[in-house]
Amino acid sequence: MEWLSLLLFFAVCGALLLGYPVALTLAGVSLMFAGIGALFGVFDTSYLLTIPSRLFGIISNTTLIAVPLFVLMGVILERAKIAEDLLTSMSAVLGRYRTGLGVSVILVGMLLAASTGIVGATVVTMGLMSLPTMLKRGYSPSLAAGTICATGTLGQIIPPSIALVLLGDVLSSAYQKAQLDMGIFSPDSVSVGDLFVGALMPGLLLVVMYLLYLWAVSRFSPDQVPKEGQSNEHTSIWPLLGALIPPLVLIVCVLGSILLGYATPTEAASVGAVGALILAAIKKTLTLSTFKYVTTETTKVTSMVFLILIGASLFSLVFRGFGGEDLLKSIFTSLPGGLFTAMLLVMFVIFLLGFILDFIEITFVVVPIVAPILIVMGADPIWLGIMIAVNLQTSFLTPPFGFALFYLRGVASDIVKTEQIYKGVIPFIIIQLILLIIIAIVPSIVTWLPNIVYG
Amino acid sequence: MYLCHNVRTSVVLVFIFYMLLFKNVIVYINRTLGVFVSYATMIMAVLMFSVVLLRYGFNLGWIGLQESITYLHAAVFLLGAAFTFQHDGHVRVDVFYRRFSVRKRAIVDFFGALLFMLPVSIYLFVVCYGYVVESWQLLEGSREPGGLPFVYILKSFLLIFAGSMALQAITELLNQGNKIFDKQLVSS
Amino acid sequence: ANENTSDAGVSNAQSTEVHKWKLVTSWPKNFPGLGSAPERFADYVNEMSAGRLQVTVYGAGELVPGFEVFNAVSSGSAQMGHSGAYYWKGKIPAAPIFSAIPFGMNVTEMNAWLHYGGGMKLWQELYQPFGVVPFAGGSTGVQMAGWFKKEINTLNDLQGLKMRIPGLGGEVLKKVGGLPLTLTGGEIFTSLQTGAIDATEWVGPYNDQTFGLHKVAEYYYTSGWHEPGTLLEFIVNEKALKGLPKDLQKIVEVATRAINQDMLDEYTSENHKAMTQLVDEHSVKLRTLPDDVISALKTATNEVIAEKRAENAAFDKIYAEYDDFYQGVRQYHAKSERAYYLNR
Ligand code: NA
Ligand code: NA
Repeated sequence: MEWLSLLLFFAVCGALLLGYPVALTLAGVSLMFAGIGALFGVFDTSYLLTIPSRLFGIISNTTLIAVPLFVLMGVILERAKIAEDLLTSMSAVLGRYRTGLGVSVILVGMLLAASTGIVGATVVTMGLMSLPTMLKRGYSPSLAAGTICATGTLGQIIPPSIALVLLGDVLSSAYQKAQLDMGIFSPDSVSVGDLFVGALMPGLLLVVMYLLYLWAVSRFSPDQVPKEGQSNEHTSIWPLLGALIPPLVLIVCVLGSILLGYATPTEAASVGAVGALILAAIKKTLTLSTFKYVTTETTKVTSMVFLILIGASLFSLVFRGFGGEDLLKSIFTSLPGGLFTAMLLVMFVIFLLGFILDFIEITFVVVPIVAPILIVMGADPIWLGIMIAVNLQTSFLTPPFGFALFYLRGVASDIVKTEQIYKGVIPFIIIQLILLIIIAIVPSIVTWLPNIVYG
Repeated sequence: MYLCHNVRTSVVLVFIFYMLLFKNVIVYINRTLGVFVSYATMIMAVLMFSVVLLRYGFNLGWIGLQESITYLHAAVFLLGAAFTFQHDGHVRVDVFYRRFSVRKRAIVDFFGALLFMLPVSIYLFVVCYGYVVESWQLLEGSREPGGLPFVYILKSFLLIFAGSMALQAITELLNQGNKIFDKQLVSS
Repeated sequence: ANENTSDAGVSNAQSTEVHKWKLVTSWPKNFPGLGSAPERFADYVNEMSAGRLQVTVYGAGELVPGFEVFNAVSSGSAQMGHSGAYYWKGKIPAAPIFSAIPFGMNVTEMNAWLHYGGGMKLWQELYQPFGVVPFAGGSTGVQMAGWFKKEINTLNDLQGLKMRIPGLGGEVLKKVGGLPLTLTGGEIFTSLQTGAIDATEWVGPYNDQTFGLHKVAEYYYTSGWHEPGTLLEFIVNEKALKGLPKDLQKIVEVATRAINQDMLDEYTSENHKAMTQLVDEHSVKLRTLPDDVISALKTATNEVIAEKRAENAAFDKIYAEYDDFYQGVRQYHAKSERAYYLNR
């Protein structure tokens, strides 16, 4: 009956296209499958009883509290036009390039990604802040949407990153197990910290590749970017600095409080939100109606994100109940010999799974099964972790279950069509795959920094 | 025949009146919940910021304070879900949906509410009921030293969430059914 | 009446029925020690029952989150769980007595109390209202006091110390001026690295080394005053257990008993090797807590326990019996174990 799990996949994909809210479609189709499966005696209904526990797990996950706080920060920055000013100023500073705003979006997005580490929050924040401005300036909707979605997924790889924390957790056990399997009874260790340091260079390299892509677009497909630069808009540097310093101080506070160890990412998010509030108050843009708008928006975006999490939780549960997990296991354990083939196949399958599953499920379901096998075959655990992380980054961009796409769709105005978002992210998916190939060929991009830091 | 028709009409009218009243009450409840939890987002940020300040400024910290933020967080996304639905804030894959006519959209939303939203909400309510009741019976507290002794209230948000979504699904059925019906009248 | 009767030695058709159980745990899949115990349990049961009882093990978060194991077993959504009793403190205030009491019994004494001193009966009574049957599920042995970024020389060094330490130990630390936190395994490393916490306890050298805690904290304190012989638990849904034929019920019971010993053997074998590696290869500075700190922690422990006894009748009753056994066995162990340790 394992094929039913695949049927569930396809049914969900088909149902999603009807356009009913994603979270409820995920949950509804899964529940229907479970019900029908139970009627025919091929689904163990006791799985459905685990939902209260799983929901309570989502509630009590303190890391996720960062989501509403970063959304609040983003909405305030957007409403107070602070982030827009930052983007404008930065694109003015980079004005001699026609892609100045795009470059600024990537750089501001990189800073946000580094400080939030949460794909949803970064996409939502950047979407609210920069999408309208980019369209106003004359960027093609697909390029604007693609840039924002892809920039948002940087939070996945640039530390501190929740994805890397989860992955590090799973990999350390897999590494230990692999060494025990190999007869090493005093095993070495790999930690979340190793992954953080290892992810730094690939993350920055990815930013460089995004920038190169923008340059290439302006060079070879000039109608997708504004006709001219905007260097003539500002003649003096001082107004720019005035606009640049407050938000930069804010971002430095958020990032710095994490990197210097004053706060966890969640706490730093509150520093960001309160800081944004103070900046808005200084700019005198904090009215009662702004206050109401900001809090209501935050509630709606937060509910949207978490209802998807709840729907996905029910979906993955029913998928598991139909033996989908066993199906995956049997695929992965019948891998052909040789690290290269095995790695290629694993990466390909993870990429494909990324279309329908999100990174948490892949991290918890697939990695514990394949990682020990690959490490025994000779894969470096940190390198393997970063390969998986970069690969999983694409899952946020691949339809139909591309969470970055959902989040942008949720905050994008009607001027951007869903197809334009899909079209816009394709080049960025390709860029991420190229990075994957580069890391595969030159593993030292990942390993040299941890080697220096930890000896 | 005429009389019979008239009675039937008045019965239908009374039914519609009560449904509209019911619908408005639900809309009001879910909107109130949404507005209420909206303020919670700002309170969360301020409380969390205080946690950081107290720790670094005064070397103080209370688990209870941190847990109160978790409670507010849960309230925001659970109690705000139906409110968000009222504002069509839940993301859709709208490749086709945005091209649909008003009536076609109403059909999707009607059957979505009937086949997805209502069954899921009812299922969540039923499956969470025992879980929450047990917590109330034990007056379950935190497992943290100095944590809040109100875990049963936190868990109750699950029931309010499922309940408010179920009620919202019913108003959706009424709204979208009405739209389908209206459209038929117009086109016939 | 059917083909099953042809099996030699089987008297009824029911006993060839295959039972499939889900076992949920609070640990990452394959986590050394804690996570390998339930896996071994599943193997044992499968072999001993000739495949009639098949147990599938789920890591934390796979089916339910680690802290929800008890609820899952109680509701019957999983037939079995592997976890630690102190996680259910919010639900059952007396539960921590069955995992660890600061300055309390060590693992040998705990096992003796449970299996021959009446402790198991109290534990079963405590879980009975939830339809859950407990079994001892292994032990880590004496844990370590934890990893600290700065040295602890006086009681003053504990003031405002942000430390990851769950359970009663956390409440004791709070009494002496520290700031206890409970973080899940995955959050510990970064929190310590970024300085969001100043110290953490985890398990012992074998597991701590896996986490790489030596990379972010210099001082390793011995010994685990707060978890002197942490006991883990297998919990079984009562209905599921009673639904098994008698022989399978016995297989479950005996397999938990075997794992209870097996985990301790694994930790005893691996901990000292890991400790040598930590000190010799990673230059970890091994320290013991000063006497005045220990005595302050002891006083605070007594206060915490007195409070718990006043608050909760079940805690009071079970602790009275625990303490009764403890006072007796520690007298003897002072003359036997301790005397021997000093001699060898
Ligand atoms: Na990040
Ligand atoms: Na995807």
